[in-house]
Amino acid sequence: MIVAELAPGELRRRLSGPGLRVRLGPVAAQIRSPFAAVASGLALHYAEHALLDPAGFADFSVSVDPPFGVRRFVGRQAFFKFDGMARFRPLPATQAFPLLEWGLNWCVTSHSHQYLIVHAAVVERGGRALLLPAPPASGKSTLCAALVARGWRLLSDELALIEIGRGSVVPMPRPISLKNRSIDAIAKFWPDATIGDVVPDTLKGSVAHVRPPVDSVRRGGETAVPGWIVLPRYAQGEATELVAMSKGEAFMRLVDSAFNYSVHGRAAFDTLADLVAACECCAFTYGGDLDEAVAAFDDLLDT
Amino acid sequence: MENRTWRALAPEAIASRSFDDELVLYNEATGSTHYLSVLGRSVMLAVLAHPSGVALETLVRRVADDSGVSLDDALAQTVERTLAELSELRLVTSTT
Repeated sequence: MIVAELAPGELRRRLSGPGLRVRLGPVAAQIRSPFAAVASGLALHYAEHALLDPAGFADFSVSVDPPFGVRRFVGRQAFFKFDGMARFRPLPATQAFPLLEWGLNWCVTSHSHQYLIVHAAVVERGGRALLLPAPPASGKSTLCAALVARGWRLLSDELALIEIGRGSVVPMPRPISLKNRSIDAIAKFWPDATIGDVVPDTLKGSVAHVRPPVDSVRRGGETAVPGWIVLPRYAQGEATELVAMSKGEAFMRLVDSAFNYSVHGRAAFDTLADLVAACECCAFTYGGDLDEAVAAFDDLLDT
Repeated sequence: MENRTWRALAPEAIASRSFDDELVLYNEATGSTHYLSVLGRSVMLAVLAHPSGVALETLVRRVADDSGVSLDDALAQTVERTLAELSELRLVTSTT
């Protein structure tokens, strides 16, 4: 059974009561929230995700809740809770769904240490994964959405889950998070995309999420072998350019982008070194022309 | 040229991987990861090849052979500086 098969009332009932237990790639999450924005966000963006036995195991038990006690008089706020404990400062209730998404990312990076987790978007084509490790504001998610719009399979727009020792990337297809101008850019580039409500005035500016393609969600159990590591950099107005970069530099960028490298130590070093050795490594600059950008990546398929 | 002998500080703790003329290292003793370009790579690999220690003069000769650079005082000073940096990173140590 998938989330879309739940009646809207049942979805709200589960979220407000025992929780909605849903599969997110390799992990199971139990989600609770009384906020309508969370229910509508889940109904829209997680429609194809598998529902799990409500009484079964969940890797993460999370909730997005309104304040308790006197805080409930301080405007409408939303708290992200993990195992019942608030983990961050509250945000305005209008940001309840983005807060859930950020909170789930935190859960994975803080707890899923069975993987080496790299801050990177990952897409796949022809059985090979393209890793786009990059800091915020480098255009990673925009590129990811553009590639997915043109047929690349979404594994993640944010977290590359790499199997220690094997180097395969485990998918976690969830909504693609867009910010500010990239929201309109992707809406124009991908008219068929399902984009949720724009949430303004977050810490990251205006945020909207793109629903992951059905095929990507259904193939959420298919790992992919990395074929390319590309470090993207968005620079408004600059020409599109994809150039080879040294493997040593690419390796160090991956180390810098890994959330839990120090947790795994030598095993992480070996895994990343093997991964880099097997991949073509490039630096990519683009100024906003997404057609050119996608064409450059499609050329990689011939290498 | 001074008469010191250089060796890896904890060779059993060092994992390394070469990518063309670059070397990346993981030092389990410190938890640090290092990137070495051409000269650093050449010096570090020469030190690792001699677990019981290697004289500076031998190191300089090997680096000259590896890199095709002429064996002279300037190269010796450069290798010494590189060794000092590797020592600060706790990758190598010396004895007199």
